[in-house]
Amino acid sequence: MAGSDDPTTGADTPTSGAEHPTGAAEQPTTELAPSGDGDRFSVEPRHEFTVAAGEWQELPDAVDDDLMVINMGPQHPSTHGVLRMTLTLDGETVLDNQPTIGYLHTGIEKNCEYRPWVQGVANVTRMDYLSPLFNELGYCLAVERLLGIEDEVPERAQAIRVVMTELNRISSHMVWLATGGMELGSTTVMIYGFRERESILDMLEHVTGLRMNHAYIRPGGVSMDVPDDFESRVRALVKELRDKVGETEDLLTENPIWLERNVGVGILTAEQCFDLGVTGPMLRAAGIPHDLRKAQPYCGFEQYDFNVVTTDTADAYGRYLVRLGEVYESLKIIEQVIDTMPGGPVMVPDRKIAWPAQLGLGPDGLGNTTEYIGKIMGQSMEALIHHFKLVTEGFTVPEGQVYTAVESPRGELGYHVTSNGTNKPYRVHVRDPSFIHIGALPTLTRGLLVADVIAAVASLDPVMGGVDR
Amino acid sequence: MGLEQHLPSGILLTNIEKFVGWARAGSLWPATFGLACCAIEMMTTGAANHDLARFGMEVFRASPRQADLMIVAGRLSQKMAPVLRNIYDQMPEPKWVLSMGVCASSGGMFNNYALVQGVDHVVPVDMYVPGCPPRPEMLMDGILKLHAKIKQEQLVERPRPGESMEDFERRVGRRDPVDVGVPDMAANRMSAKSQAVTGDMTRQSDRVERR
Amino acid sequence: MSDTPTGAGPGPTAEPGGGTSSDNPNMAAGEQAELVETGLEVQLSEQLMKVRDRLVEAFGDLEVIGFRGELTLIVPPERIIDVLRFCRDDPELSCELLADLSAVHWPGGKRRENAQETTGWPTYETGSEEGRIELDYILYSITHNHRFRLRVSLPDVDPRVDSATSVYGSANFMEREAYDMFGVHFNDHPNLVRILMPEDWEGHPQRKDYPLGGVEVLYKGATIPPPDERSY
Repeated sequence: MAGSDDPTTGADTPTSGAEHPTGAAEQPTTELAPSGDGDRFSVEPRHEFTVAAGEWQELPDAVDDDLMVINMGPQHPSTHGVLRMTLTLDGETVLDNQPTIGYLHTGIEKNCEYRPWVQGVANVTRMDYLSPLFNELGYCLAVERLLGIEDEVPERAQAIRVVMTELNRISSHMVWLATGGMELGSTTVMIYGFRERESILDMLEHVTGLRMNHAYIRPGGVSMDVPDDFESRVRALVKELRDKVGETEDLLTENPIWLERNVGVGILTAEQCFDLGVTGPMLRAAGIPHDLRKAQPYCGFEQYDFNVVTTDTADAYGRYLVRLGEVYESLKIIEQVIDTMPGGPVMVPDRKIAWPAQLGLGPDGLGNTTEYIGKIMGQSMEALIHHFKLVTEGFTVPEGQVYTAVESPRGELGYHVTSNGTNKPYRVHVRDPSFIHIGALPTLTRGLLVADVIAAVASLDPVMGGVDR
Repeated sequence: MGLEQHLPSGILLTNIEKFVGWARAGSLWPATFGLACCAIEMMTTGAANHDLARFGMEVFRASPRQADLMIVAGRLSQKMAPVLRNIYDQMPEPKWVLSMGVCASSGGMFNNYALVQGVDHVVPVDMYVPGCPPRPEMLMDGILKLHAKIKQEQLVERPRPGESMEDFERRVGRRDPVDVGVPDMAANRMSAKSQAVTGDMTRQSDRVERR
Repeated sequence: MSDTPTGAGPGPTAEPGGGTSSDNPNMAAGEQAELVETGLEVQLSEQLMKVRDRLVEAFGDLEVIGFRGELTLIVPPERIIDVLRFCRDDPELSCELLADLSAVHWPGGKRRENAQETTGWPTYETGSEEGRIELDYILYSITHNHRFRLRVSLPDVDPRVDSATSVYGSANFMEREAYDMFGVHFNDHPNLVRILMPEDWEGHPQRKDYPLGGVEVLYKGATIPPPDERSY
């Protein structure tokens, strides 16, 4: 993919200069000036070249050196989605890496402003598509806090949310392992990872009806109760996953090829992580035991006993160990929840907020149960009115602004939701961890070989749906 | 392929067409164009549980120059559209495009400024597979229907058995398509019973009538 | 929950939503109730009250809002970098992470939501003289485990503020997004170009005066306008 042919972003670029002010001819300097992304650990090339986007043609004239500018374009099998990295290479060593994102921008945040609060769940679930239930959970926690019903959400709903999201965490880590392994050349790991993911997706489909993008967690609880054989199936699934993930672990953890490609690659120390806003497994691999499930618990996480897995190597291998450890910890959590699953309703008792439908599997598929239809059409006028108003117009949420965060498989997923008292959100801003992590890419990949860039980006685990929203 | 210049006629042509169609459909290599959630389902279809390798399609070629089929999986944003066209142009003939998911087929649930409302604004599409995301089985169904379509392709355009001359000309684009007219507006109104229950809370019926 | 039919104003003035929290039986018992500047009774934890005291001590009287257990401080735009630096370096606050930098656009003029005739819900009328864009910086401390928000209110036309990249490196991408989506100009940002939209895009999509941009959905003989043009 060629770089952009257009002239630089004329009107939009301020004259105070881009990171690369115009004019390719520069004095040879002995070190890279610290770039705006707070990088204080720089590599010393022989020359510094600063070129704005679109002026790549001028670069070769100014160069009396062999720097190459290569584009790892948006369509690439190894860049984890539509990420474009413009690498400045000295031989095979990366001197600078400018990521370009926005190739998947869907305007989800603006879309949310035109749909009632409940429909926002279906919107928002498609952002980080490997862990859709986390998106839903963050959004619903924000809406519940705005409504002031945080403590009214039933315990059974909280427990179900925990099980579903932990299952989703495992499936997300499995996809990470599968795609990361494939990018490093191991197709076996890809097959293993997707096989595990299928088992989990079967479970999620059994409960929610869909394999991905479930729209299951709604403000006030979950949309419907779990089926009767949920407990036994989950126990069987946990047992199966322990064995299967164990297989993958046996294959990779002491594998010399895996070690060679991952140890020492993509180091991001704790200080750099803080400055760049990196959270999640990257931060834990750097030694900081920070997990939002422990620090600011939500959904009843304080009652479950699990460890926060950390290593202190801060490299790609450390992140692999952290994520694998998290899978086992999630299995532990799921077992504890299943053992202590409370009974009761799965939606708030307030009929003006609770999602009214009672869904069941009938002869023609999933739909409202006949008892419920009989109730609203025949018996209770109030129930009919609630149902109608909630489904067409939705509930209204008091004015205000909240920020809630959940610990998604990639890091801190935050929702900054503003309401102006109507039935539609006023502004939904999502603090997606992958977006911040892509900002850490220049620092992460400076000084690496090109093949290591792939390993480093794989260990970052960006999901472009969340990056671009 | 250069085949088109040296074609016989009659029964030999039909057999050659069948053979060529079978060969082309037999191992169609997809180009990776996974964009969003549908890409994950596409990868799942290539993985072990739903195996695309039984159709010879497990090799997702990274380079478009080695691919026949572009599965556009996911939502196409305005920024990505030129890239898509570029990749499509880099594919050598014969090539086909399968638009996977509703976002690729029509913009999906995102009817806004950021998305191209359907990939067919940018590349010609041969098969649309709806779903959000489509199950792997649905994608395989779409692929198999595409195989059937490929097997029927003709090297020299002539009317198919049982096809009239007018239909043939319309199919190849030498004649304007038939105008089916505006159907009965009554189909768009709410039934009297539902109107009685809900009253006039929505004005859908009036709005439709006014047009 | 209550429906507040009164207007929703932009930032600094009273947030009527806070008033509902006193009706709310769910605020945890056992936490102290504190009276905050805006005259509302909210319940902020002790820790957040200490944060507020420390910031007020260092920077003089800042307007403070407490809502649903969250602390928000309104900072004038010219002082935001000093406050951010203080929050990062002060050992009692020690906010290592800039968790989020987002913007909300409150346009000037009257806005009306939900026409009464079709739905029966009360009409929500909002209005203000001039448009504001509010930037919210969410700071999070890992050592002390507290999180709070700094809010900066900028005018709608040509909003300018200093860039926080000198304090937090993570602000780089977040400010580019605020620029791209709202047109907020950050002085001294190293690379202020569009990040999500194509580089030659005109307009700032998430402002309220920018349309959703959808197309009409066609049915046989009928069309449905895009969501922002519908009247129901």
